[in-house]
Amino acid sequence: MTRLVSHLQSSVGRKVVMALTGLGLVTYVILHMVGNLQVFEGPHALNSYAAFLRDMPILLWTARIGLLCIVALHIVFAIQLSLQNHRARPIGYAIHRYRQASFASRTMAMSGMVLLLFIVFHLLHLTAGVIGSPNSDRIDAEGYRDVYGKMIHAFQNPLVVALYLVGQLGLGLHLSHAVSSSIQTLGLEHAALDRLFKAAGPAVGLLVVLGNIAIILAVFLGIVHV
Amino acid sequence: MNFTVRIWRQKGPNERGGLVTYEAHDVNPGMSFLEMLDGVNQRLLGNGEEPVAFEQDCREGICGSCSLVIDGIPHGPDRGITTCQLYMRRFPDGATITIEPWRAKAFPIIKDLVVDRSALDRVMQAGGYISVNTGGAVDGNVLLIGKDQAETAMDAASCIGCGACVAACKNASATLFVAAKVSHLAVLPQGKPERTRRVSAMLEAMDREGFGSCGNQYECEAVCPKSISVRFIANLNREYLRAGIVESGIPSEPESPHAETT
Amino acid sequence: MTKLHPKIPSGPLESKWDRHRFSEKLVSPNNKRKLTVIVVGTGLAGASAASTLGQLGYQVECFCFQDSPRRAHSIAAQGGINAAKNYQDDGDSVGRLFYDTIKGGDFRSREANVYRLAQVSTQIIDQCVALGIPFAREYGGQLANRSFGGVQVSRTFYCRGQTGQQLLLGAYSALCWQIEQGQVTMHPRTEMLDLIVADGQARGIVVRDLVTGRLSVHTAHVVVLATGGYSNVYYLSTNASGCNVTATYRAWKQGAVFANPCFTQIHPTAIPPGDASQAKLTLMSESLRNDGRLWVPVTAADRRSPGDIPDAERDYFLERRYPRFGNLAPRDIASRAVKAVCDEGRGVGPSGYGVYLDFTGVIEQQGFDVVRERYGNLFEMYHRITGEDAYHSPMRIYPAPHYTMGGLWVDYNLMSSIPGLFVIGEANFADHGANRLGASSLMQGLADGYFILPYTIGHYVATATLPPVAEDHAESRAALHRVTSRITRLLSAKGRRTAASFHREVGRLLWNHCGMSRHEAGLKTALTSIPTLREEFWKDVMVPGSGDAFNQELEYAGRVADYLEFAELLCHDALHRQESCGAHFREEYQTDDGEPKRDDARFAHVAAWEYRNGAAPILHKEPLTFEFVQPTMRSYQ
Repeated sequence: MTRLVSHLQSSVGRKVVMALTGLGLVTYVILHMVGNLQVFEGPHALNSYAAFLRDMPILLWTARIGLLCIVALHIVFAIQLSLQNHRARPIGYAIHRYRQASFASRTMAMSGMVLLLFIVFHLLHLTAGVIGSPNSDRIDAEGYRDVYGKMIHAFQNPLVVALYLVGQLGLGLHLSHAVSSSIQTLGLEHAALDRLFKAAGPAVGLLVVLGNIAIILAVFLGIVHV
Repeated sequence: MNFTVRIWRQKGPNERGGLVTYEAHDVNPGMSFLEMLDGVNQRLLGNGEEPVAFEQDCREGICGSCSLVIDGIPHGPDRGITTCQLYMRRFPDGATITIEPWRAKAFPIIKDLVVDRSALDRVMQAGGYISVNTGGAVDGNVLLIGKDQAETAMDAASCIGCGACVAACKNASATLFVAAKVSHLAVLPQGKPERTRRVSAMLEAMDREGFGSCGNQYECEAVCPKSISVRFIANLNREYLRAGIVESGIPSEPESPHAETT
Repeated sequence: MTKLHPKIPSGPLESKWDRHRFSEKLVSPNNKRKLTVIVVGTGLAGASAASTLGQLGYQVECFCFQDSPRRAHSIAAQGGINAAKNYQDDGDSVGRLFYDTIKGGDFRSREANVYRLAQVSTQIIDQCVALGIPFAREYGGQLANRSFGGVQVSRTFYCRGQTGQQLLLGAYSALCWQIEQGQVTMHPRTEMLDLIVADGQARGIVVRDLVTGRLSVHTAHVVVLATGGYSNVYYLSTNASGCNVTATYRAWKQGAVFANPCFTQIHPTAIPPGDASQAKLTLMSESLRNDGRLWVPVTAADRRSPGDIPDAERDYFLERRYPRFGNLAPRDIASRAVKAVCDEGRGVGPSGYGVYLDFTGVIEQQGFDVVRERYGNLFEMYHRITGEDAYHSPMRIYPAPHYTMGGLWVDYNLMSSIPGLFVIGEANFADHGANRLGASSLMQGLADGYFILPYTIGHYVATATLPPVAEDHAESRAALHRVTSRITRLLSAKGRRTAASFHREVGRLLWNHCGMSRHEAGLKTALTSIPTLREEFWKDVMVPGSGDAFNQELEYAGRVADYLEFAELLCHDALHRQESCGAHFREEYQTDDGEPKRDDARFAHVAAWEYRNGAAPILHKEPLTFEFVQPTMRSYQ
């Protein structure tokens, strides 16, 4: 077991941790999106779904703490790796040209940072309700907490919508490199599946971003309303 | 043809360096890039100046000595070749060409464009071999190795150890180099007995030498003169994960072959 | 005066090596630990020897001038390695490999050495497989073979077109293992500049650290030179630019005799030289001759493009002169035939030094794809270098200096005339006679390093008296002084000409007078011109910078200085050998139809030259006796 732990502290080991935690977060992001898409089914569906989650506080808080730990691991290892990588080339090139690295792969640190700031904002905004949501604890007609109403209210504000769109851009960029990269880091490769693996990142990124943006824009443009 | 070349000049490992501009006149399009530099050097010598130090040896793309970053790309604009196989007809007449050395902490500069790549040798010494004594090997046909398997091993084994992968990588990582060697030996039955130790030792050595980690950007593959596929990196990762699991099993103390005599 | 004892064991050819090994003395493991061996060079021979000696328990100090042992020029060998495995069941055997090699060498090599080479060839393949070398395989998983110029069986093992690379990386990996084990200490970027001979024994070397410029003395019980060949004396050759004669030449000046220096192989299929700036001739694999046809126009100075010349006006000169082997005639014969047609003014290309190598026929018969699959990478390389597309118009090729059969004289134990100085691989003269067959150099390098030297070195150290030689021994100091004063002299000339310009000049002189064909008057001209050029060199050479730093011009100038002396030795040998044999073609000694005329009565010997300070070298003759094969006229017609 100590060997395994020491293995995880090498550069490849750290990347494996990044990949595993990353894939965990991707799974969460997908579930999060699917859950929220219920906004299109009306207040009842979304509010009862939210209530269903809140009915199991132990599970909910375990998941929340778990997610937090995963995020923390992901960030700590990312910082360690970038420090190592930064040290590996103390003097840069006068001219440097990329041949095939994607834009997303070149901006992972940036998109990751944008994403982190966005998540903090998002948590303060919609989960904790510290920012800009005075009516966070309204109860709907059926006695559930009105998450639906909170969302409609939140995305009326153009500034909030703009911030969310920037956050989604960060998310999309990050995922489009991250998913394929994780597959490679975990050592999955096969001649026949090579293309699929390469496409997985952009596909997942696009899917999640489209789903999330659909919600935001649907509210903002008044397609979904109270 | 005439060119303006901007070349990194640095007197020694601890000196400050900088780009210096030279003119290359009367270049024949059939000249190789290194012959163009030879010409620049002959002129410098004629003026009593020190010629530009750069590495080269076989000039046919196999020894892995030449190591120039040309306009920001290791080994220059063409894919699948080394610097020595680059010809001047590839450049437009009158172009300005910037030439820099491989840059990585693990490759300290010796002089001008010459860097010390012995870190790659030390990574090899950590485990890039099959420990087999000379003599007493069984007949070569006793081990049957499928054609596909042999070809895959050969794809990986064709690495010339030039270090372009390191030079191109944003993180100055030597992962493709290590992946090529580990995969070559892991694919073949001869290499299986030591595969667990080999991959761990070589990756540890890579970290120790100060190379960065792989960012899966695949710039290495794009500049590799032998076009070694990044699929070998996935294979390396797999080998490493496997080693992590296998090694964490019951530890065993190897017995010294001369135990009874000591 | 040196006396040469080849020390060939008596008895039947087949069992000479086995019995010799049995009669050799062994060294106990405890004693091996106290013995130091210096190995200079890390090509196939050097790396395999250093790793094997390390495994046996010797303390090995290994040196190379490259930045890594993996970059030695063995890496550039393309074609393959021969072994008498007879996996194809096409009639091959140890005896046949022996006969092909000795006949290919035009009966100018020792029977016993060549037979031993053929014997150990099979072990080499097994060893290489065990080291993980990815040889080409058949679908069934067995080792694949191909045929190679000059023989009629398929006995060549290969790894695509990179066999030398793979074999070298195998030997290098074994070397890495021994470095990790602490048995071998590796000194890369370190050039040997002199040999230390104390009490008649080779006991050390003087080296220069190419990064810091520091000179140092390394002493040992035995010195092994594996420093390759000297084709670069011709300036333009297929060798890497670093290949040089310095190590063997300095050993020669310390008393090791040099054998058959005039046996230099000119490879027929290189890309023709371009303008004066060219620094290297690129070899195109010999395998191209399996399908390509060589031709020139029938009439001289025919400037039409090749496609416009009808078949009737083409001369397929190899097929015409050597109908039995055709385009697959051995290297020396093909090269000379190419030179002959170019000398008649029928050469093609801008310089007139070139012949066509045409694939039109095979493309028509077997299709574009087959040719691309077989030679795609070579056609691509040709395109990159010349800018021409060989699928649509024929390639142009011209011979280029490639390999040197001559080298330091060694006995059956691979020991030179200086006790304790062993010489292996291309650096020695032993196995290829006057001409080397394709895919035999890799075989010889590995045979020497893996399987022969490790045995014979043991016997030497077990039987010799080896008193300690300190690093400040009088002979060490003398050697160090020789090196220092030479470097000072090079740096203080402060002339106007670059070392490269002298190298080019001596190269052209040799190529013209001691190249593919030689004659007395030309050789004598060369022998008078070389000393003049050398004098000018020492007066007018320009070496910038200092000796105590990284200085590539200084390294190069030192090597050129040695070429300027060595070239003379080469011409002396060529002048002495009044016959045509193998790669050595004397125009005075040919038949009416231009075939070489060998003279076994007068020249069935190894010409071994001893250095004399300030005078012409002394010739020793080691007679070659043929007990088991009958020298025949080597005919490929």
